This record gives sequence, C-alpha cells and structure tokens, in this order.
Amino acid sequence: MAGPAEVAPLIRFDQVTKRFPGVVALQDISFSIAAGECHALVGENGAGKSTLGKILAGIHRVSGGTLRINGTRVDFKSPLDASRAGISMVHQELAFCPNLSIAENLFLGRLPHVGPWVNRRLIRERTFKLLQAVGLDADPGLLIEHLSTAQEQMVQIAAAVGLGARIVIMDEPTSSLSHRESERLFEMVGRLKQQGVTLIYVSHRLEEIFRICDRITVLRDGRYIRTLPIHSTNSDEVVQLMIGRPVGEYYPDCVHQPAGEELLRVEGLTAPGRFEQVSFAVRAGEIVGLAGLVGAGRSEVARAIFGVDSFTQGQIFLRNRKTVIDSPRHAIQQGVGYLPEDRKRQGLVLGMNCRENLSLPRLARMQRWGFIQYHQERELVQSYFDALRIRAADMEMVIEGLSGGNQQKIAMAKWLALRCRVLILDEPTRGVDVGAKSEIHNLIDRLAGDGHGILLISSELPEVLCMSTRILVLTEGRLVGELSRQEANQEKLMQMMAGVKNRSNG
Amino acid sequence: MVFDSPMQTRSLATRLMQWKEGSLILVIVLLGTVLTVFSEPISIRDRTTGEMRQVNKFLQPTNLDKLVKNTSFIAIMAVGATMIIISGGIDLSIGSTYCLAAVVGAMFFNYFGPKGSMPELSRWLVIPGGMLLCVLTGMICGMINGSLMVLLRVHPFIITLGTMEIFRGIAFVLTKAQAFTFFPPEFTDGLIRREFNGLYPVPLLIMLLVVAGGGIFLTRTIWGRYVYAIGGNEIASRFSGIRVNRIKILVFTIAGLVGGIAAVIMLGYYGAASSDVGTGYELRVIAASVIGGASLTGGKGTALGALLGALIIQMIDNGIVIFGIDQNYSRIIIGSVIVVAVVLDRFSQSVSRRRLLTS
Repeated sequence: MAGPAEVAPLIRFDQVTKRFPGVVALQDISFSIAAGECHALVGENGAGKSTLGKILAGIHRVSGGTLRINGTRVDFKSPLDASRAGISMVHQELAFCPNLSIAENLFLGRLPHVGPWVNRRLIRERTFKLLQAVGLDADPGLLIEHLSTAQEQMVQIAAAVGLGARIVIMDEPTSSLSHRESERLFEMVGRLKQQGVTLIYVSHRLEEIFRICDRITVLRDGRYIRTLPIHSTNSDEVVQLMIGRPVGEYYPDCVHQPAGEELLRVEGLTAPGRFEQVSFAVRAGEIVGLAGLVGAGRSEVARAIFGVDSFTQGQIFLRNRKTVIDSPRHAIQQGVGYLPEDRKRQGLVLGMNCRENLSLPRLARMQRWGFIQYHQERELVQSYFDALRIRAADMEMVIEGLSGGNQQKIAMAKWLALRCRVLILDEPTRGVDVGAKSEIHNLIDRLAGDGHGILLISSELPEVLCMSTRILVLTEGRLVGELSRQEANQEKLMQMMAGVKNRSNG
Repeated sequence: MVFDSPMQTRSLATRLMQWKEGSLILVIVLLGTVLTVFSEPISIRDRTTGEMRQVNKFLQPTNLDKLVKNTSFIAIMAVGATMIIISGGIDLSIGSTYCLAAVVGAMFFNYFGPKGSMPELSRWLVIPGGMLLCVLTGMICGMINGSLMVLLRVHPFIITLGTMEIFRGIAFVLTKAQAFTFFPPEFTDGLIRREFNGLYPVPLLIMLLVVAGGGIFLTRTIWGRYVYAIGGNEIASRFSGIRVNRIKILVFTIAGLVGGIAAVIMLGYYGAASSDVGTGYELRVIAASVIGGASLTGGKGTALGALLGALIIQMIDNGIVIFGIDQNYSRIIIGSVIVVAVVLDRFSQSVSRRRLLTS
C-alpha cells in the first residue's frame, strides 16, 4: 500500500477477459493505473496490449471482468461513450476523414452551427488554438490527406485535448515517426503529464518507454505478467518478461565475409522533388544500410529501383550491365526483390492465405498450360515455412490472422522463393515483435552470407548500425555521406541525417 | 439441448453454412420446398398415354425446364460478372454486350437463313460461323471495356456505364429497330432447342460447361489466382510482378465472351432478336453474382456461386408466376433477396471464420 497506484487507482482492470471468435485475446487481466502517470503497456505482437487499449477506448467491449474508472464500474459501448468519460485514443491507422480539413475533423460530430450552417470562422479559430497547444504549425483548413503521419498524430492529440480528455491512449505512436518527430511527441507527452493527463503508452520501443513512462506493465499471450516502476527495472528484464525467456543476442553476430561481385549500381538517379544524384553500389554479401529521416527519400529511391516510380535521370546497372527497369515485374525478372515498407498495403494480399501469398510472384514458373502445379506450390511453401520458422496453424491460414512477424516473414519469403539476389528491404522489422525481430535480423544476415546483396532501409538506428556493412546517409533526397561499420555510431549518424538544413515540417 | 435430433439438424445446417456455397444451396432447397408445397396442382396431358393427370405446378419437368433455361442466360453472364467483381471491377454493359452479340448473330443467321439472301450456303459453315461471330462480338465488347478502363484509367463503373449505352446504340443502329428472325432451323430446333422427351437440355449443358470452365479458370489456373490477388490488393499484386492491366483486360474479355455465349443460347432458343433484348440484364447479372457471394470490394466470389445466385433469382421469378402474384412485385422481392443474401453471407463468413480460428 505504498505506490501511488494503490492510493488512487484511476483506472482499474479487474479480471478483464476479451474473446474474439476462436481466440482469447486477453485473459483475467487485473491491474490498475494511477491518475497522472504515464503507464507503458508492452508485450510482443499478439500479447493483447492494443486490445486492452481498445477496450479502454470503447472500441472493443469486454467479454468478462470489469473496468473501473475512478472506482465506478464502466462499460463503454462505443468510442463515443469512452470519450464522454474523458478517454481518447491516438491510433496509428486512419482516425480521420482524409478528405476533410483539420478543422472539420476536429469538430466532426459536434460542428458548431447556426441552424444548418456551420460556423466556419469559429471552428477555424478554435482549431488554431488547439493546434498551437500541441505545437503544430499548420493551417486549420489543410486537408488531412496532405499531412504527414507525424502531423496527423499531433492533430489526433489536439483532438484529444480539445475534447478535454483526462486519459489518452497512444498506440505505437512513434512507429512511423522520424527521430525528430518522436522528440516532439515526447515533449508533448511531458506537457500532457504536467496538465495531469493520464497516459497509456503502447509501444515496442523500450528505449522511449524508459525515457517517458513512470510504470510499465508487461503482457504476454493475453495474460498479465507484471507491473514494474520504471526506475527499478531495466530493458533486459522487461524483454525477458515479454518473451518469457532470457534473450540471447538482440542482433546477430554479423560475420561479414569480403564483399563479392557488384550486383547493383545506381548512378546519378534523379527524380525532381524526391531525390537527386543518388549513386551507390551494392555487392554480393553486403548489407548496405540506407539511413535518413522519414521523408528523406529512402523509400522513393527504393521504389525507383524497383520500377514502381519513374525517374528522370540516372542509370541502373545490374551486375555491371545497364538495365532499364520500368515495372516491378521487370525488376523481379532481373532478380531484384523489394520488401515494401507497408506490408499490409503493398506487401501482402491480406484476404488470401499464406500459401497463395508466398507463391504469388513465383506462380508463373509453377504452371503447365496455365494450370497451377499444386504439389510444387505446396513443396515450395512448406520449405520456406520450415526454413523461416513461420508460425501459422498451416499454410492455408489467412494472412490477416497472422502476427506481424510471421506476415513479414512471408513477405520476405516471396522474394527468396524467386531467388532474387538483390533485396531491397524497406523497414523489415516495423511492427514486428521482439522475438520475430531477431529472427528476421538473423535471416537478413544469413542471406548476405549466401551472397545476396541487400539494401536495408530502416528508421531504427540501432538496426541500421548493427546490421549494415556500410551505411549511406540520405538527407532531403541527396546522399550526404557514407560510413563504414567501424566508424559509424548513433551520434555521427544522427548528425549526418539531420546535419544539413532542417526541414520546416517533419 | 433436450432433444437430440434438432441438435443434429443444426449441426448439418452449420456444416452447410461453413461451406462457401452451402448457405446458397440451403436457400435453394428451402425455396424449392416452399414452391412445391404451396403451389396448386394442375392438370396436364401425359405425352405418352395422352391422359390427363395431376402434377405439381412447380415440381414438374416442363416448369423446371423453363426455370433452367431462364437461369442459363443469367448464370452464364454472371460467371463473367463474378470474375470482374472478384478483380475489384464492375460491368454495367453486360446486358448491352449480350444484346449487340445477339443482334449481330441474328442478322447473320437471318441473312443465311431460309428466307435470307444466301439460304444455300452449307449449314456446316453457317451455324459454327454464326455462333463464332456472336461470341467474338461479345469478346470484342469486353476487350473494349477492359482496354478503355486500363488506357484511360477510369473506373470501370464509368466506362461500362458509357459502353452500356454505346453497345445498345450500335445494336439499334444496325437493326434499325427491327427484329431479325427466320434462322436456319438446324441451329434452332436442331441444336439449341433440340427436344428430348419434351425437354430442352442444351442450355443447361452449356451453362454447366461455362460454370465448370469458369470455376476451373478461377481456382486452378495462375490467371484465376491473379484475379483474386488483384481484387484483394492491387498494389501488392503489382509489386509481386503481376501484369495487372493485362489480367483486367482478360477478365473483361472473358465476361464479354460469356455474354456472347448467352446470346447464342438466346438466339437458338427463341429464334429471334432485336435491339431491346437483355434490357436491365446487367443488374440481374450483378445481383446474381452478389447473391452468389461475390464481394464488391473485390477478392471474393466463385463461379458456382454465380450459378446458384442466378438460380435463386429465377426461382423467385418462377414462384411469382406460379403463385399468380402480380409481376410488379417481383422487383421488390428480388431487391429484398439481394440485401438478405449479403447479410446472410456475412453471417456464414463469421461462422467459417470462427471455425478457422479455433482449428
């Protein structure tokens, strides 16, 4: 009866259980969150942390147990119920109507009006004030679709504050933010805390949790594991609790052999407004990191090489042969594979099963008169299920039902099955839990060892630093430097990434 | 929980619901039972003995034959429409495609028919030639739809809304609003309308062939797999090296082709065509696809579902005739069925999803 949580539990979960058809997402979760604290919810993907957040936000309803706010039992039937009780959630996904302005979105459902006419001036003024409060310098009339993810998140926070939220849930808020944008978010978190807002912070990234949170609750497989005050624990312990076993190596012991033949070279690649004069080479056995802030043009370069977007100048050489790549199909035929940054939108067909997704690019080589050779397909898929240790009930399982890590493994297996020697991996571990993450890292390392040439794009600096043989730094569409593995460290990289002139908006 | 037997029937019903087309078959059996039980008996003359005897108004060969024939046009076109819907598109021009193919075929058969300008040409040339012309016309219409959509990057709804008018307009101009008839009897009574014991099984056979062909294409070939992939996630499909545009054109071409096949059956069965045949068919065909489980968001649907969806619609139509209900009610009833079917489909999906997750 010493900690603040026992004194004044603002939120109390008591035996909370949530069942989805066929699965128990949460089982008998009991713990409490004190008023005014920043409480982290951690766990691997599928541990139930987002589900718990969504129950609090009224998106899901409990199947059993009780939820108490300030001692009174509540049962939110909708997000509206929750927001009436002062609870708001900051999502990663679309929370707004992209075709409406910031102002309209902030006041959606409660637009001030005179008769049927919206009071446009009033919402503009109020929006302006709300945006200022979160430190976002944007025109209230701007359409949401023109905002970056970071800006949209700020608008979500503004919306929460505007509604007078006392409890704000943030679900993986930094997963698509650049370093600097994350910093701004942390400042915002600090400000909210000062205002007495209780924060529930759902994240994978322990580093930031240790910076901004007061206490941390670990969930595993839908069960409550433990709540720890942040100052009396460390990340090793938390990771252990998350995965239920001691972690070995976070990053593989990259044994890089001398680089082999040159597989990919780009010279003076230019697409005005996106990137300019980008030149580099990737050799067999190399992992070339491509670092840069979000918006620096990393994915754009990758997409240009893969033939998704066009470029105006520059050349691509594959194994020293000049090649024109004008479509992904062409790139694949030339042995270039691209793991897109957004696997749900670009990488996988969510409604199809594992087998169909994995074999999709290779299907044309497993047919006779257009008829799919099923035994070949199954053999191929099974071999990658085994090799990559993909955890699914079977290969007929629909992709949607898989965890992020397993989805990502299938997205990667697509290119391995094609024997693409050049692999462009764009954020290969985004939204992937700790265990699967290190498996993917090991896989990337193994691929390089097998003579693949890998271009690794990642927003996580430790990942780029530990995985790459050398690191290219892209700033505002230009390559500003290259660091070898030996000379690279987090500070140097950050300096180079942010070193040149700063962009006004994220 | 007290009685054993209801539990068993429920488990059978649940099992049927879990099968993709099971709920449709359940509905068809139910509809069939209702139509049989509630229809009054009528007297017909027995063909062999010549005596009058009482038969069920619904469950008798002549009525079922008519039902199947009516179903065949819609079902055949719905196979094509389902493919388009799976790929994430829509085709509003199928009724007009069907009409144009029929009119072109009708003019051909009339020209070489008994009262035409060249009645002496060999039947072995005229009949396959006319059928081929019909099918080709449909294919070209479909190819035009697909190509325009891909080249102009306009949503298929808009393109086919336009071609719906254009194709019918061409049919109108070609025929000068006349009906064409007097086809070679070897084509009509000798082939499509060939009689076996008072029944006409050819439309049924062609329908089954088209449905089987469509089903094999969708489930067994790489192109079928691509159709589902594109409907499920077009970007991921392109990133996987699929030639998305080609597949889209292919799918529209197939839809046109089956429209041509439906036109062949119609010509042979009725022996006439004019520029107003198939008016409103586009919505019937889409309705059949949707009732059959095709999802307008793409990625879902089957050829068998298209057939069953068409059958359900025609059974309702048939029931309206049998019960002597005012024809005007048919649209209200069919409209309601579309909505119910989609809701039912969502329910059966949640059942199978639950099974998938628990296994």
